[in-house]
Amino acid sequence: MSITNKDKNPKGRITETAEELYENAPCGYVSFLTDGTIYNLNTTLLSWLNFTKEEVIYLKKFPDLFKIGGQIFFETHFFPLIRMQGFIQEINFDIVRKDRSSFPGLINVIEIPAKGLNPITYRATIFDITDRKKYEKELIAAKKKAEEDSHAKAEFLSTISHEIRTPLHAILGIGNLLSKTHLNEDQKEYAKILLLSSENLLGLVNNLLDLSKIEAQKVKLEMRDFNINNMVKMLQQTFRVKAAEKNIELLVEMDENVPQELTGDPIKLSQILTNLIGNAIKFTKTGSVSIIIEQLETEKNNSLLSFRVCDTGIGIPQDKLEAIFQEFSQASYDVNLEYGGTGLGLTISQKLLHLHHSEMKVQSIEGQGAEFSFEIWYKVNNNFSSAKEKIISNEDKEILKSSRVLVVDDNPANIYITSQFLNNWNLENESAKSGREALNMLKNKHYDLILLDLHMPKLNGYKTAKEIRALNISKQPILIALSASERGEINYKLQKAGFQDHVPKPFQPEKLLETLVYYLHNPNNIGKENFIEVEEETREEIEEIEIKNKPSETQQLKNTTFDVSKFVKMANNNPIYIDKFIKSTLDALIIYEQEFLEAVDAKSAEMLGNLIHKSTMSVFYIQADKLSILMEEVKTLIEKNVASTEVLQKKSKACSREFHKIIKGLQEIKAEEILALTD
Amino acid sequence: MSSTQKISAVQRNNVKVVGNGTQPILFAHGYGCDQNMWRYVYPEFEENYKVILFDHVGAGHSDHNSYSKEKYDNLLGYAEDILEICEELDLKDVILISHSVSSMIAALAANLEPSRFANLIMIGPSARYINDEGYVGGFNKEDIDDLMEALDSNYLGWAANIAPVIMGNPDKPELGEELSNSFCRTNPEIAKHFARVTFLSDNRKDLKSVTVPTLVLQCSQDIIAPVEVGQYVHDNLQNSEFQILNATGHCPNLSAPEETTFAIKKYLASTTS
Repeated sequence: MSITNKDKNPKGRITETAEELYENAPCGYVSFLTDGTIYNLNTTLLSWLNFTKEEVIYLKKFPDLFKIGGQIFFETHFFPLIRMQGFIQEINFDIVRKDRSSFPGLINVIEIPAKGLNPITYRATIFDITDRKKYEKELIAAKKKAEEDSHAKAEFLSTISHEIRTPLHAILGIGNLLSKTHLNEDQKEYAKILLLSSENLLGLVNNLLDLSKIEAQKVKLEMRDFNINNMVKMLQQTFRVKAAEKNIELLVEMDENVPQELTGDPIKLSQILTNLIGNAIKFTKTGSVSIIIEQLETEKNNSLLSFRVCDTGIGIPQDKLEAIFQEFSQASYDVNLEYGGTGLGLTISQKLLHLHHSEMKVQSIEGQGAEFSFEIWYKVNNNFSSAKEKIISNEDKEILKSSRVLVVDDNPANIYITSQFLNNWNLENESAKSGREALNMLKNKHYDLILLDLHMPKLNGYKTAKEIRALNISKQPILIALSASERGEINYKLQKAGFQDHVPKPFQPEKLLETLVYYLHNPNNIGKENFIEVEEETREEIEEIEIKNKPSETQQLKNTTFDVSKFVKMANNNPIYIDKFIKSTLDALIIYEQEFLEAVDAKSAEMLGNLIHKSTMSVFYIQADKLSILMEEVKTLIEKNVASTEVLQKKSKACSREFHKIIKGLQEIKAEEILALTD
Repeated sequence: MSSTQKISAVQRNNVKVVGNGTQPILFAHGYGCDQNMWRYVYPEFEENYKVILFDHVGAGHSDHNSYSKEKYDNLLGYAEDILEICEELDLKDVILISHSVSSMIAALAANLEPSRFANLIMIGPSARYINDEGYVGGFNKEDIDDLMEALDSNYLGWAANIAPVIMGNPDKPELGEELSNSFCRTNPEIAKHFARVTFLSDNRKDLKSVTVPTLVLQCSQDIIAPVEVGQYVHDNLQNSEFQILNATGHCPNLSAPEETTFAIKKYLASTTS
């Protein structure tokens, strides 16, 4: 059929029958019946399969062409889908040849409805996609590698940031000390630059750490009660000095109908606002910075609040409005030169807002100012009562008086704290340090309610609960789980184990009281309405928690080396203040440690005496009695000058280790974690 | 704002209630599909029954957020869902028609609350898919791995996921549906997990304690549940009838809806008379 002579009209010379088109098409054709029996297929497909027509027609079924997995897939997905939809596009099956080797095929099928005597039939095309599959594999491998690399990079960034922070604290501390000594004008200037640069560097590192945590999805929204007015006042306080230095007015406008007591994540909100206000002051030379808070909408118990931070600063060019939310981008290079900063603040704020299912918006006229705004839904905390005096009814008091509670926790400090609260509420209570001990106690005595820690060595909370439920006792107790809130637990798993509810640890006293009262009144209920919904976790993570049954290092430190409960009191439970206290103590201790080592090196009892005097308050606040004793001991050794060098070395090493423990502990501790553990 | 409210079983399982009768007849779909697979069967029961259709969590239009690997790591999680639906709708004397893996889910539900059910009708049931000593299930462990591979490379999930992107209109995903295989869509991760849970399950022990009268409907040629497997189910139930259909394949409700419907109706008539 070749066209050899172009002069002669080729049209009439080319003939092609439908059969030829069918048999030799560049794809496979196959037709089959409802039960899968193949009644026709083309030569192309036969040649791919290495079968003759006789070997297939009315002998083989369509799914016989697939591997076993494909056959199951055909029966469970493919066939139901064609029956319901009438067609199927682009499903990938491995197609098996006569010699059992296979090639990847892409299949399209249509259903031909029954007509007259013809039953329902199906027509399929098959394409050989060996090449495409190869590319796909390459792409998937490349994607996987890129994801892994990116993950490794984020991990690295996070580790490095963490590592940089420790020496930076020392640089800052020493810089601070240095600037307070007698310096000439030049030296003063140098010290100032040193301090400023290390502050900037610390800011950058902290931001990087935040960002990498957000990207690794390690940052979650907390739910806690807070007072928005207090928070905004606190922010105003923080920025007052900075604004005054630049002679800028700092205004706060809070609409009257904004509910004051809210439930949400105050730390994240404060982080976002701090960032916006900081930026606004930074980029404003004259005029004002205003923070405007309004209520936009209410729905049941929820309130949609709008936050706006407006300035009269340099503004942002229109074409840069989107770019400013990207990492490390500021509106221009010159901006960075003049104003400094990392270009991470807005990125972080934007990501924190995404966690809230919200978004930052920006409007600006270059040269006239900018307005950053966002909206967040908060739950309105109506049943707020001044946290200390929760009003409980006489009936509640009665039931508290006539009930008995068992607290099960492997950590004696936790038992102590919990029982202090229970005693305050006149609730008779006893404690057990392990699941086993609790089970033994239950056999001899009835407890109305058991507060059970989930993460205990040997018999964990889940297992203990299951065994309690299996006990043959006249009356089953109410079972409430206590567990660290950050990781969360799966309700389902708790319910399975026989728990009725869950109180996150560290608990808020009012929440615990509320839960206790509720269940003592309704001992058979499961999950009162605020049964805390927590995010889903994979099995591995749960197992990981179960394995990790020792109290964490931080917790141990907390119990033996220092205690931050005084901060909590001083800060009146405000997490922002607590963090500030912790940070300033941490900075001080880093310096004290240096001074301690210097004093020991110089064998100077006087230097050490000064240090002990100077550090009294910090040491007192964190109740670091052990450190205080160790320092005194070292001082005595030096004073008496009788000890061998080894003894002195040993003692000072012990003291130095104590410093380290506290510093490490303070670095790891977060206000949120400790807030309700202590009172 | 993220909602932390617990949703009802009716919402969670995308429950549909139709029909004019009072006795409830509840249809439970099998692996790989959703309630659509009953489309040729359930209308036949609308006149005399209260027909209840639902999607297992993870399938069809169920609430995918309710899926948890923890809960659905075992068929019991699905059985509890069925009981919750019954409880919420206050269904009594339920006829539970189940296809494929749902048959074992039905057995579990009937063991948990026998008094809830009047009859079970199991279509293509298997108490265990993988061969065991002295037991023919039809598959080897490797076959199931091969299924995982098929699921990995299939385009059902892909197409469903990328279609809205292709259309460039994520606000109106329905525009994208035209492009994809729009029935029985499942999140690929859930599909794989459900496949494992289904094909690695072993419910042979659970059969013996089922007291609810049961009809086992078996297809003539079914690679998923061969005749021996159906026979095993029948032999181990306390109170069952066994019927082999002329229909072939694993989904007689789709390939031979008339025969399937007729068999069910005949059985129900015989139990009430």
